[in-house]
Amino acid sequence: MDVTGLALRAAAARPRVLLAALPGGTAARLEAGRLLRLRDWPSAATPAQADLLLVVGPDCPRLHGALDRLWRDLPAPRARVHAADAGAVGARLDEGRALLRSSAGQREQAGTAAAAARDADRKQPETSAGADGSGDEEDPGSRHPHGGGHHGGHSGGGMDMDMGMEMPGGLPMAEQGEDRDGLTLDRLHVPLGPFLADWPAGLTIRVTLQGDVVQEAELREAAPPGHAGGAFWVQPWLRAAAGEPVTAGEAARRRAAAHLDSLARLLAVAGWPAEAVAARRLRDDLLDGAPGTAVALRLDRFARRVGRSRALAWLTRGIGRLSTAQARQAGVSGPAARAGGDVADRYRQWLADIRRDLGRLAEGSPLAPAADEGPRGYWRDDRPPSAALMKVLPELLTGAELAAARLIVASLDPDLDELAAARREAGAHG
Amino acid sequence: MSTTDLVLLGVLGVLAPACGVLVFTLDSMARVTFALLASLCCVGGVVTVLGLPYLGVVIVLMMVMEMLIMAVFMIAYMMNPAGLMPMSMLHNKGGSLVVSAVVFAALVAGIFAVPWPGRTGVRPKDTTFQAGTALMGDQMLTMVTLGFVLLATMVGATVLATHRGRYDRFGDDLDQRPAKDPAGAGVGR
Amino acid sequence: MGEPGAWWTLLAAPAMLLALAVLAVAFTAVLDARDAGRPVTVAVAVRPFTGVPRAVLAQPRRLPGADVLLWRAGAVLVPVAAVLSTLVIPFGDTVLADLSVGVVWFNAMEVLTWAGLWLAGWGPDAAFSLVGGYRFLAQGLAYELPLMFALISTATGAQSLRVTDIAAAQHGLWYAVWMPVAFVVYLAGVLAFSFTGPFGYPAGRDLAGGVLGEIGGVDRLLLQAGRWLWLAAGAAMAAPLFLGGGAGPVLPDWAWSLVKTLLVLAVLVLAARRLPMIRADRYVELAWVVLIPLTIVQVLVPALVNLNR
Repeated sequence: MDVTGLALRAAAARPRVLLAALPGGTAARLEAGRLLRLRDWPSAATPAQADLLLVVGPDCPRLHGALDRLWRDLPAPRARVHAADAGAVGARLDEGRALLRSSAGQREQAGTAAAAARDADRKQPETSAGADGSGDEEDPGSRHPHGGGHHGGHSGGGMDMDMGMEMPGGLPMAEQGEDRDGLTLDRLHVPLGPFLADWPAGLTIRVTLQGDVVQEAELREAAPPGHAGGAFWVQPWLRAAAGEPVTAGEAARRRAAAHLDSLARLLAVAGWPAEAVAARRLRDDLLDGAPGTAVALRLDRFARRVGRSRALAWLTRGIGRLSTAQARQAGVSGPAARAGGDVADRYRQWLADIRRDLGRLAEGSPLAPAADEGPRGYWRDDRPPSAALMKVLPELLTGAELAAARLIVASLDPDLDELAAARREAGAHG
Repeated sequence: MSTTDLVLLGVLGVLAPACGVLVFTLDSMARVTFALLASLCCVGGVVTVLGLPYLGVVIVLMMVMEMLIMAVFMIAYMMNPAGLMPMSMLHNKGGSLVVSAVVFAALVAGIFAVPWPGRTGVRPKDTTFQAGTALMGDQMLTMVTLGFVLLATMVGATVLATHRGRYDRFGDDLDQRPAKDPAGAGVGR
Repeated sequence: MGEPGAWWTLLAAPAMLLALAVLAVAFTAVLDARDAGRPVTVAVAVRPFTGVPRAVLAQPRRLPGADVLLWRAGAVLVPVAAVLSTLVIPFGDTVLADLSVGVVWFNAMEVLTWAGLWLAGWGPDAAFSLVGGYRFLAQGLAYELPLMFALISTATGAQSLRVTDIAAAQHGLWYAVWMPVAFVVYLAGVLAFSFTGPFGYPAGRDLAGGVLGEIGGVDRLLLQAGRWLWLAAGAAMAAPLFLGGGAGPVLPDWAWSLVKTLLVLAVLVLAARRLPMIRADRYVELAWVVLIPLTIVQVLVPALVNLNR
């Protein structure tokens, strides 16, 4: 029996896909999500779970290192494809599947992987980051909680310890610090992003964890200034600002879809996959140009289930409180400022906004970018609303537990493409 | 006692002290914890084979939970690198070796030296009931008292150890609701 | 009293548990397809199992600093404990080993998942995986005591820890009917120890899979199988504990056992989709402040009923 062939066919029958979205790749990410859903190719959250690494979006040299780490962690048989734009996604997926199926392709990859591993071995021992990914300057201790918190000089306790011993895996030890509850615990530096599942593309937050409490959060943005690729969610506003005719209905459609996308991420992070799928379907239908009446019934059901869910409200209340006054002071506009409260208030605001926008899909009046807010708020003085959302993040994350931190990020859902678009415009004007 | 029981008793009887020895020879806190747990599970098996199934299974049940909680605290609050770090678990090697050898010898001597009484009645079919009446019948008052003492100790220790008092949580006039906690809890008090 | 199991029951019990788990996976796949807007066909139900040969033949994972022995031990422990729990679950009249302390045995095997999941989280030396392992302990502290009291209510009602005695003691009036709190808490406990659905906290998507995040190959297959096997074992145990076991009109005992087990399994799979993931930081307080007192009162009910007999 050809066991290798059997494994290859099994992997190719239903490849598990690790979707890595690059900054500016929103349209391609949406297309990939839609195709994976229709083909029943499950989406993996870490390389260990995946067969196929699908990179979407315009090439971004600064993230090559992180992508290579993901690829190195993918167990064979495996394949890696890159779809630069939405149109290429379907073909790339087929290509990846063919790669997975062919033994020749797998052997070739095994050869190059072995060579790469030898290269890596010659350098310092690097860690294999999970889909938790890593920033550009990964420090080798980030993945490793076992390397405890030893600073020498503990003579108490009388433990026999060899100070000069080899650490497991050649990893450095964690340092200690006071934690939220007055205990001295190990600090662990863990990067969140840039390729975390259900995470804003291009965002990296380096958090210092004690237990699972975030002690410090530092934002890094991976997107280079003015990278290629448009800001998908704010396209109607940018086009209107540039003088193109855009109807208010088109903008409302894009805004509702953007909120549904954010909601889908929030629901996925909150661990409600069934409703996350419902949100993604609605989003895809809206972007596909479905008339409001066609989705109204399903949207209603979805909004009822999620908006009136006592369990979800119970689990999200009190997390990431951002009052309207605080929000306005930081320059936040849009749903996050209007909701003025915790995670629960913010997702309810999204639902309310989606319902309102659904009635406006057919509006033919021209879009006034200054009066009609974008998915994440107004652009003021060429400052995109996501910049303000990013500004409030570190403060909200400090002191939150890891699960709450993920919920907070998902409930604000900054769009880094907006920042890049703003920089490009500034560059064009300046 | 059937042959199966004797074989089981032999195997578990050897495994239990073997895992016990591993506790002192392994050099990772996690492995040590689970060697101790394996040893205690073997003890639970021995007790079961000896005809006390309830106590035997409860030993396994309680020890798994207890050792896991212990693992959390040992690893979280160890002031030196626990877990995978190579380290020795031994304190005062010479003294402890002497003490344990003497205790072991005394216990083994006790097995042979004590004039064990012969069985008078018939062996009950289900010893669970006997264990229950022995604890809850004659010794009810002891058990109830012990239970309350244990509970009071746990609550008292937690209250004394906790960093923030009720004035920190409920404000100076104790009227702040919900309490000021670093993270909200389940029922919103 | 159940009949002592013949030699073939030793093989039949794990096989049946596996079959139930496979049905649960297939049912979930069908529901997923319906939700995602894919056509629902027979192939949809079979597709998840293409991952099995893939996992068996996968390249082993090597991570720096991993404790492979403990990691593997954890992955093996969960499904093995699930299979061992079937020792005391009667199917119709037949039971593999009708232990006098059957309920405690089931409970002890279920508690072994604490060790299994913590080890599976600890093994790979990865932050998210470790957090996942610790999350299960926090969840365990929340669900375990209410679950124990729910099990004790049935044992108190039957005045026996033997599972067949409990099934026989229901005399047509199921414990699910007059001990509803215990029944609901038990079902929630089943979801919790199989870390599925709302109690999937240790393997949460927000942790990129948690305890399942770094594990690969056969180990991953075993851990995931353990998840479904526990769901099936919990459903099978619900029939004798709360639904009168094999008792029922017309049909033979084994058929009633099967029907009841399948129904409970379907309810669990459906319920798992209707709720978001319940985080232990919220659930612990609910469990200790609300559920434990409720279940203690629930134990009091059969105790008083028995005193009056």
